[in-house]
Amino acid sequence: MGFEPIKILYALGTIFIIFNVGMLIQGIVRKIGARVGKRYGIRFYQPYIDLIKNYVMRSNVTHGVMFYLGPVFRLTGGLGVFLFIPIIYGSQYFSNFAFAGDVVLVLYFIFFGSLGMALGAGEGGHPYSAIGVSRGLAQVTAAEIALVIAVIGVGIQYDTLSITEMVAAQQGGIANWTMVTNPLLTILAMLAFLGAMGRSPFDVVLAPQEIPIGPPTEYHSTFLGIMQTNRSIFPMAKTILFVNLFFGGATNWIVLILKIFIVYMWSVVVGVVFPRFRVDHSIRWWYKYALPLGIIAIIVTTLIAG
Amino acid sequence: MVSPIYIFIIALGIGFLLSLFDKAGRAVAMTIFYGALLAMAFISGQWLLHLLQGAEAEIITTAGFQPPFSINLKMGLLEAFFTFLINTLGFLAGIYLLPKFKSQKIYGMILFLMLIMGLNGLVMTGDMFNLFVFLEITSIATVSIIAIEKNLKSISAGFKYVIAGGIASAFYLIATIFLYRFTGVLNIAMMAETLNVASSQAVFLSVFILMIAVIVELKPFPANGWALDAYEAVDSGVVAVIASGTSAAMLFVFYKISPLLNNTLLLTAAGIGLATFTFSNLLALKQKNAKRLLGYSSIGQIGLIITAYALLVRAGYARNSEIVMLTTGGLFINHFLAKAGLFWLSGVVEKEKLEEWSTLRNNPILLFAFAVFVIALVGLPPFPGFFAKWQLVMTFANQGLFFWIGLILLGSFLEAIYLFRWLGKVLKSDLKAELKAKISQIFPILIYLLAILIGGGYLSRLINQGTSLSILYLPVLFIVFLFFIDFLPVAIKNTLVILVGSYYTYLIIPQLSGYRVMLGVIFLAGGVLLFIPGYFKRGKRTGFYPLAVMMYVGLAGLLISENTLQFFTSWELMTLGSYFLIIRGKKSEPHALSYMLFSIGGAFVMLFGFGILYYVNGNSMALSSLGNIESMAGIIYALLGIAFLTKMASIGLHIWLPGAYGEAEADVSPMLSAILSKAGMFGLLMLMAAIQTANLGSINLPYVLGWLGAITVFIGNLLAIYQEDAKRLLAYSSVGNLGYILFGLALMSHMGWLTSITYALNHFLFKALLFLAIGGVVYRVKTKNMYEMGGLIKKMPLSFVSVLIGIIALSGVPPLSGFAGKWLTYNAVLEKGWYLQGVIVIIGGLIAFLYCFRLIYAVFLGQLKDKHRQVKEAPVWFLIPQVILIGAIMLFSTYPAFILGPVGKMLNDILPENALIWENLDAYSIYGHWNGFLIMMITGGIFVIVFLWLYFLNRKAQKVKQFNIVYAAERPSRPELTHVGYNFFAHYKKALGSLSQPYVTKFWNTMADIFHSSAGFIRRIYTGDGQTYILHIIIFIVVVYFLTIGG
Repeated sequence: MGFEPIKILYALGTIFIIFNVGMLIQGIVRKIGARVGKRYGIRFYQPYIDLIKNYVMRSNVTHGVMFYLGPVFRLTGGLGVFLFIPIIYGSQYFSNFAFAGDVVLVLYFIFFGSLGMALGAGEGGHPYSAIGVSRGLAQVTAAEIALVIAVIGVGIQYDTLSITEMVAAQQGGIANWTMVTNPLLTILAMLAFLGAMGRSPFDVVLAPQEIPIGPPTEYHSTFLGIMQTNRSIFPMAKTILFVNLFFGGATNWIVLILKIFIVYMWSVVVGVVFPRFRVDHSIRWWYKYALPLGIIAIIVTTLIAG
Repeated sequence: MVSPIYIFIIALGIGFLLSLFDKAGRAVAMTIFYGALLAMAFISGQWLLHLLQGAEAEIITTAGFQPPFSINLKMGLLEAFFTFLINTLGFLAGIYLLPKFKSQKIYGMILFLMLIMGLNGLVMTGDMFNLFVFLEITSIATVSIIAIEKNLKSISAGFKYVIAGGIASAFYLIATIFLYRFTGVLNIAMMAETLNVASSQAVFLSVFILMIAVIVELKPFPANGWALDAYEAVDSGVVAVIASGTSAAMLFVFYKISPLLNNTLLLTAAGIGLATFTFSNLLALKQKNAKRLLGYSSIGQIGLIITAYALLVRAGYARNSEIVMLTTGGLFINHFLAKAGLFWLSGVVEKEKLEEWSTLRNNPILLFAFAVFVIALVGLPPFPGFFAKWQLVMTFANQGLFFWIGLILLGSFLEAIYLFRWLGKVLKSDLKAELKAKISQIFPILIYLLAILIGGGYLSRLINQGTSLSILYLPVLFIVFLFFIDFLPVAIKNTLVILVGSYYTYLIIPQLSGYRVMLGVIFLAGGVLLFIPGYFKRGKRTGFYPLAVMMYVGLAGLLISENTLQFFTSWELMTLGSYFLIIRGKKSEPHALSYMLFSIGGAFVMLFGFGILYYVNGNSMALSSLGNIESMAGIIYALLGIAFLTKMASIGLHIWLPGAYGEAEADVSPMLSAILSKAGMFGLLMLMAAIQTANLGSINLPYVLGWLGAITVFIGNLLAIYQEDAKRLLAYSSVGNLGYILFGLALMSHMGWLTSITYALNHFLFKALLFLAIGGVVYRVKTKNMYEMGGLIKKMPLSFVSVLIGIIALSGVPPLSGFAGKWLTYNAVLEKGWYLQGVIVIIGGLIAFLYCFRLIYAVFLGQLKDKHRQVKEAPVWFLIPQVILIGAIMLFSTYPAFILGPVGKMLNDILPENALIWENLDAYSIYGHWNGFLIMMITGGIFVIVFLWLYFLNRKAQKVKQFNIVYAAERPSRPELTHVGYNFFAHYKKALGSLSQPYVTKFWNTMADIFHSSAGFIRRIYTGDGQTYILHIIIFIVVVYFLTIGG
């Protein structure tokens, strides 16, 4: 595997597809949420309208260079994570730039956008931004404990760190999925997924009632548009990572989108059921429950991998 | 040749006639007095030269009778040496006391002459009874001089002194009588030939009493309260003679009677000496009075010399063999010169309290002398005490006397505590008073300063035939040269150091091989780079350059060392240099002390380890022998490991680091963190390379180190997020990062070591960058508290960029070089199977994000404070190395293969697994792959595209002022209130609860408390009451006797 210019075109194609998938899932999820709450809800294509509205807004205010670059970092991070993950197993068109690195790269690139965004928000100078970032970083690093352990677990089980090889090891039916072969690790991973998605009970970062919307408080118009674009790609990228690691990946787009939707719905369902954690509670929760569970999972995985 | 008898004739004659000369005027009397002292020194000096050239010893007998029928005085090599020391001391002390002699009655001078003569007699006489006479002369002269001072304290001290001396003399006389009864001779040498100590209980008891009488004169613990009171009360000029001169003579007396002692008694003497050494140093911990402190130190040193001598003789070394002379002689000379010098300084300072000695700072030369004497007493290079102690430990180890080595090192450590505390106080306490030093006082001090410097050089040549330390000679000469040109301005010295440093780097690097090259680049090239910021200082920066260079010389010395002595000397030079760098910070006194104590503690543990190595490896000092140790390998490795871990500030041994790094000067912190910390790493690398081939037995050292490293990463990073002080935050971050390095090394695999070296290199790059950038900021805003800063991106954009690059590299976020370390960690952990440790390490790495953000946010982002509106960008001299470092980070990030490829090849010699395979720019392990170049290109490409898109949409964005934010349609309050910076991660602390408590600091504080309170408790025995002191002596004798015959 290596770099060829044509791969840029393929990558643009996958980005286009996943962007639309992300937009639609956002719309649909909000619709479902409204219906569950006995409301009519938005139209499923409302996210597109919001996005266009933000992009065409005229009022443009910046607080400085870092503020300006914050959303750029954010979207670069989201796109980067997406592009470093092979999307469709066995397809040379849709394996993106996975030749640049393995799952460790993805794991650490997740922070690229968050850190950049946090810096931009920091220069905005709004106290709520700082509070939001402080909570966000603290919670993300705590939640990553579960994610890191889950990834190491998969690494131990399949004796590889390459995502493509991890997916390859799960081919041949549902019985080979990590979900079935190593349920404990998958449970841990799905907890990690909740942390990564930033929905309730781990949504204290944006916490609309307390700190308007946290880090992005000062962002508006085009800046917000860029971040919204990211919001339709980044969560999808993370979901694809989980699909690849624990649910056998996908050999075509239909299976992939289906799996994305189901996995994504897990965080939505939990989100509607459970109320929000306070940030110190949530950090403690990760250390108190996820960490021991992770250690047990690692031990079990070691036994499985034998 | 002038006969030695003239020493006595001159002293007695002049002493007798001096009051007569005084009638002709004080000037006449004084000229003759000093002439007499000089003549005495000349006579012994001339004999010393004569005998050194191989002449026969001169023996003077009374009235032509031969012993045993006459008193004989001997002038052999040792006698010449001792009398020369005593007489020069007498002359110099006489000069020191000149103002006093000038104004006082003539009796002072007469008594002084008698005292010096008595000491000469003690050294030269070979007759038991004659020795008693000289003992009495010395005693009476001393007491009279003490009592000449007309203050109550002095008189009472003199009285106690006379009582104690009297008891000792009485015992001495009794023993002499009995021994005469048993042997029929009084000549010591003849007595030794005929006497059989074991022949009867009576003989044994007599010899015991003789020995104990001499030892009581040498002030053993606890029967030494009288001496302590005297040291405290007596005039500085006189006490120098008592502490150095009288001790010298009495030690020589002990040397002379030692042939009478059998092994049991030698062991007793050694035990007394060791107890004295340990307890004196323990009790001194609580001492606040400078002269009494010196008294404790004196007594302790004498104890150490007795122990060394007695044990060596007991082990079968001839009394005048080279080893005995080198060790006890070295210790003695060191003590003799340093103690006299310090007592003389006490007269210059004229202050009782330790911290009031800071007045010495008014006179750089005296300050230098003080520092040299203190460092010499602690036993650091390049002074005689260091080499003597080294030789002593090696010789003891050779004899298997490990218990003794342990206690000696413990005592030495206690001594280092109070001496360095004192040095710190002198260097840092407030200056309150002027210093009025008379030339008559300075002159003797300078002579002894010179003597101790020369003595160190001389002794370094004696050990191992003078060849083994040659690697350090030229660099040390350069350090000396820097001391001489210290009056020049910073710019010249800085340029000189950079030029010479570059040339030295150019010379040394090609000589290195394997992983040493990597560290050579960090130590030397990095060192040169970090001198660049030095240009920002104005004035002279007194003392900075010689000591900074000393640190680098030590570091370079470590790399080119081939034997343990070279390594240890380099290690100590580095420690000493870095101590003086650390203590330059405004508030670094306690932190420098803590650094020094951990370092010295570590160094002594290392010395112990080298001693055992010497023992088990057949007296080999070669470092290469570390790899093939026959037995006790586990213990040796553990000891050396502890020493290296101290420098690496692994958890448990880390408490010195945050303060030391945090309070150091702006350009010193990067040197410490980026470079110095790697010294411990180098040691461990060496150790681990050895462990690779050695038989470890049951101790699984790497496994322990692995856990230690993992916990260090976690705790170090966790504590970093709670810091308010930017530099302490970076310091704790260093603790964490050194934990990664340790963890990687402990993995004992090719991949693990590659991880470790990647981390080391990265840490060097980004931590130097961060400390420089933050140093520049702190220099401008005059505070280190992050919550007091904020919004500085607008004022210091370049520093912001540095910090940004630094934290990205630190946190391990791609595309910068830190990611290489993370990626390698995952691979190494999977390969080794240390999953749990690996998880802790990785969680620790995640926590690093928190402080990284906090650092850049609280300093550069958020709200600018009113008082910082006029702040300028950091000085250009700070920015230049930052640009170079950023360039290096970018290069390393984009082309990791260029660096990690060769590093992998270097490691193949030791761990030939070749776990990481490079195909052009692609790195492959058995688990995964990664291409730094592509990651950089892809990230950069996306970033540029997204940016251009945003810019296209948003090109007309309008920049608004600071407070123009969405704030409920209100004006925000003051920047102090709007800037969320203080206690930024309070929730994390709350969530982790007890994990965030400073247990380690509590532990060490408790340890310090235990030492101090036991010292406080024990020293209550010194009531200041003469009767109690007599009781002590009696009890001491009885107890020692029962211990001797019982054991």
